[in-house]
Amino acid sequence: MAVRTIEVRERVMARNNEIAAEVRSRLAAHGVTAINLVSSPGSGKTTLLERTLTALGEEIDIAVITGDVQTQNDADRLAAHTPRVVSAVVTNGACHLDALQVLTAIDEIELERTRLLFVENVGNLVCPASWDLGEKEMIVLFAVTEGEDKPLKYPKMFEKARRVVMTKIDLLPHVPFDMDRAVANALSVNPELEVIRVSALTGQGLAEWFDFLRNSVLPVSTSG
Amino acid sequence: MSLAMEIARIAEVKLGDAAPQLVTVAVDVGDTAGVEVSSLEFCLEAVFATPPFAGAKPHIVRCAGDVLRVAYLEVDDGRTDD
Repeated sequence: MAVRTIEVRERVMARNNEIAAEVRSRLAAHGVTAINLVSSPGSGKTTLLERTLTALGEEIDIAVITGDVQTQNDADRLAAHTPRVVSAVVTNGACHLDALQVLTAIDEIELERTRLLFVENVGNLVCPASWDLGEKEMIVLFAVTEGEDKPLKYPKMFEKARRVVMTKIDLLPHVPFDMDRAVANALSVNPELEVIRVSALTGQGLAEWFDFLRNSVLPVSTSG
Repeated sequence: MSLAMEIARIAEVKLGDAAPQLVTVAVDVGDTAGVEVSSLEFCLEAVFATPPFAGAKPHIVRCAGDVLRVAYLEVDDGRTDD
């Protein structure tokens, strides 16, 4: 047997990052702010988006891309709250979205009439942290039904995020969750993190979430 | 697993249509790459245990910085030793 060596020297994320840059460029050209929502499964991403679309849908042009391993259940749920197309990406087993999937999905979206684009990533606190989708900001949802040590167990996700949304806070009286310790753990991983606390069920804290979104959207150009 | 699958994609592209038998996949992993080496190794073994790579072994090379790259491939292209 003759074994020979083939030099490669290729960064693993190079191709994805090139495509993400193209996504970012296209979104910027249309003044679209893109937010990549990441979390464990069941943290309330879809419910938070339902409430967001209902509350802000007439005020801000919002488009959504959903990612799921199987089914387009989340996209179907969200479509009931917006007249806009909700683009469903079924990854067929992959545990994250990649930039090519987002690039393909935004072809279905009228970017010229979109101000805010949510990408609801596959529920997973590991792999999505490695894949740039071309978003402006990654936001991690952290439910009070999880353990306070999630940021310590999955530091990369919390390092890359700029904001953490603590969800399901209406359940705090019923679960052994130490909010102060959870926030301290998140800040120990990323001291720059900003924290928003919400309950999509009762509406508590949603005003702050909505204000953050309003302030994130780029002003519409009035030139000409 | 997603990183392992991307590494497999890079290897597949590099091998091309000739598709010689892949023996080793060497991956440089930086100390600050945010990658758990044992997990990546486990996933690579799983990915490279299946066709078209059956039998290939991962070789992780630790290095400084945040680098994560496919360093080189070792292949057996069926030629006999000179």
